[in-house]
Order: sequence, then C-alpha cells, then structure tokens
Amino acid sequence: MSCDHVQQQISALIDRRIADGERENVRAHIESCSACQAQWESALSLRSALRGMAQTEVPASLAAKLRVLASHERVRQLSRVSLPARLRNFTAYAGLCFDNLMRPVALPFAGGVLSALLAFGLLVPTLSFPHNFVGGPTFFVEPAGSTVDLAGQTSEKINILAPRIQPVNSPYTGYTNVVDLTIDENGKVVDWTVVSGRLTEELNNLIVLSRFIPATTFGLPTSGKIRAVQGPIIVGPSYSFTVRS
Amino acid sequence: MATSILDLGSERAAESAEADDLGLVEALREGSERAYEELLDRFQQPAYALALRLLNDQSEASDVVQEVFLKVFRSIGNFRGQSSLKTWIYRITVNEAHNARRWFFRHRRQEVDLDTDPEDTRDWKENIADGGRSPFDVAFSGEQHVMIERALERINPIFREAVVLRDITDLSYEEIAEILSVSLGTVKSRILRGRDALREELQGSLRARPALRLVPKTAE
Ligand SMILES: [Zn+2]
Repeated sequence: MSCDHVQQQISALIDRRIADGERENVRAHIESCSACQAQWESALSLRSALRGMAQTEVPASLAAKLRVLASHERVRQLSRVSLPARLRNFTAYAGLCFDNLMRPVALPFAGGVLSALLAFGLLVPTLSFPHNFVGGPTFFVEPAGSTVDLAGQTSEKINILAPRIQPVNSPYTGYTNVVDLTIDENGKVVDWTVVSGRLTEELNNLIVLSRFIPATTFGLPTSGKIRAVQGPIIVGPSYSFTVRS
Repeated sequence: MATSILDLGSERAAESAEADDLGLVEALREGSERAYEELLDRFQQPAYALALRLLNDQSEASDVVQEVFLKVFRSIGNFRGQSSLKTWIYRITVNEAHNARRWFFRHRRQEVDLDTDPEDTRDWKENIADGGRSPFDVAFSGEQHVMIERALERINPIFREAVVLRDITDLSYEEIAEILSVSLGTVKSRILRGRDALREELQGSLRARPALRLVPKTAE
C-alpha cells in the first residue's frame, strides 16, 4: 500500500467512510509509517480545531433581532391559523390578548399634532415616575386611562439606567443612548435604529420584552415610531399626570 | 453484530428526532410561543456559526441568519418533513449565504475545476509531504484559531462549504449531499480536497510566520 494512497484515505478514515477491510490496512500502514502518521495526526488536530469553531457565540444584537422577528412572525401566524387550532393553543393566545391590554402607546407616523399629543399623554404618565420637560406642551390623558407594563419597569424611583420613551420628534436631546423603534399594528417592535450612543442591555430588554398598544388612525391600529432614550434626566419644569387604571 | 446494534440505535434516534421535528413544526404552525423559542434555541447558534464560517463577516452572517429565520417562519407551512428540520434550515442558510455579496465575489475569484477526481490533482502534494514530519504538527491554541479562520477564507468556497458543513456544523455525508444537492461521491471528494487545501494554507502561513509560537504535539 503506497503512502500516496493511504494519505488519500485519511479524510475518509476520520469520517468513518471507509470499508472495514480497507480500514484495517490503512490503519496498519499509518502505525508503521512516520510520514503517514504525521499526516494522520495533523488531520486529526485540524478536525478538532474546526470542531472547536462551532462554539461561536451569537452576537447579542442578532439574538435580540431574532426574538423580535420570532414574536412578530408568531403573531402573524396566529392571525392565520384556524379557530380550533387557536383554541388548542389557548394559553398562549390568552396571554397574547392579555398583553394587548398592557402596552404603552406607539405614536402614529402621520396622526397630526393633537393625536400625537394625546398618545404621548397616554404614554408619559404610565411610566410611573415624574417626567420633566422644558417648556413642555400640555398633555391630555385619555379619560379611560390605561396601565402599562414597560419591560417590568414599575418602580417609582428614577433609575438612571431605565430607558424612557418619548416622541421621535421630541426636542429634548442630550441623552447618552437614543434608539428609534418602529412599532407595527400589533404593537410589536419590528425594527429599530440606534440614533446615538449604543444599544445597551436595558434598551435591548425594552425592545425584546415590551409590548406596545399600537397607535390608531381613525380607530384602526397602525404602525408608528417612538423613541427610547437612556441617560441623564433632562431637567425642566415638572408636569404631573393622573394615572387611572 | 456490534455494528448492526449500533445502526439500529442510530435509526431509532433518527426516527425520534423526526417525530420531534414534526411536533415542533405543528406547534409553530399553531403559533405556540414556546415552539418559536425552541426553534431559535436549537438553530440560531449553529446557523450563525455556519453563516459566519461561510462568509467570514459578522454583519453579513447576521443579515443572512435573519433572512434564514424569516424564511423558516414564513414557509413552515410548506415543510413536509421529507427532509429533517435540521437539513432544511441549513440548506436555507447555505442558499442565503450564496446570495450574499461576499460569497459571490469570492466564488468568482476562484474558478477552478471543482469536482474532478482528486487523484488527478496531486502535484502540489509533493511540497507538503517533505520529510517524515509535517510542519503542521501542532496543537491548536486559541490564537491559532485566527490562522484557521484566515486559511478557511483563502480556500475555494466550494470546498470550504463542504468542510464547514462536515467539521463545524458536524453533519453526515448524507445530510451534506442533501443540503448541497450533490452526490455522496462529490461530498466525499470536496471534503477531502477542502481539508487538503486547508492544511496546505496553514502550512504556508506557518512557514511564512515562524515568529508564531506553536505548541508541538509532543509537548502536550
Ligand atoms: Zn506512509
């Protein structure tokens, strides 16, 4: 058996893609020939080095995007499945309905100033801590009021790391990290852009975990954009809001 | 005797994996939240590792993986279980990687005779087997992973793909044949040539950079 032939078989030997009789012959040659032995060992160490490369970690930003994608696609799928199938999957579906009641508001792209203010008015008090605005406009609170579950943010204390929500066209800048979120008609975050700073873990959690009440145009849910900010609190005259639930 | 028992065992494992797949697919169709999570848990990491090694670019690999899962979620209704969920998803990943810009340019740059019998193209091998001991006799440390990455990038993408599917994604020859739509013989030949090319690249870079401290096998 020639060295050439044996070295040709090494790849197949590693993968156990070699006939039994042939395998014994190739093995015997490798054990008795230092050149082929060296080739065999280098092939083995290459294989194990490559196997080690399988452990590559998924970047956090990709993982977050995939979760958003999955939750968006799931809602899309739910809207298409039959009623019996939906009932079989009742728990998940009930959870979804419940989530729908517990969302902050997304501002419509083109809903006019008044509706934007209304939506913003709905949004701001639900954050459960005082919000300060310089020369801010008057906000209206929807008579029915609403509660909100903003990625588990219910603390009364102002946490410097806690992301806050404001309109995309808000004049208040100076935050360290600013991310614009696109909310679809189901209240899901479908896309985002880092306007400044970076996507921190807190903002990432906001994107992945928060559900939003979609903005409405003429009573119909529509997609919209909101801005999530994180960083120093912008100081100005304080406005207080009534939160009803 | 021993092999037949082994075969039976692996056949059973394959059958139960198939049943798991179909259960997961059914739950996805019904919009179960847990099913969506499970699919990501099972496949986002290996799909990313595969795309990254095919394209050697993190942001392009991320884009590819997002496209892959969008396609998977949208076309789960068409999945009939004629292939396993695993090969189906990796096949989509490979196809999406082929569509990526980076792949296209690399591929064009390296037009060679792809599936000719490796026995015919042995001329360069003479350079490798110089003497009994190959300069490649090293144990790979973390630092040397960078070298392998570079070597992978330099070899023909058609061969790289076969090696990556085999050695990194850890698929069988049959699964690779299905994913690439080629014969088993072609899979075998591409893996062999890919590994040889990789070893040649690595030996080249070891010779070119003697300053790199390598751990000899014997020192282990
Ligand atoms: Zn030999």
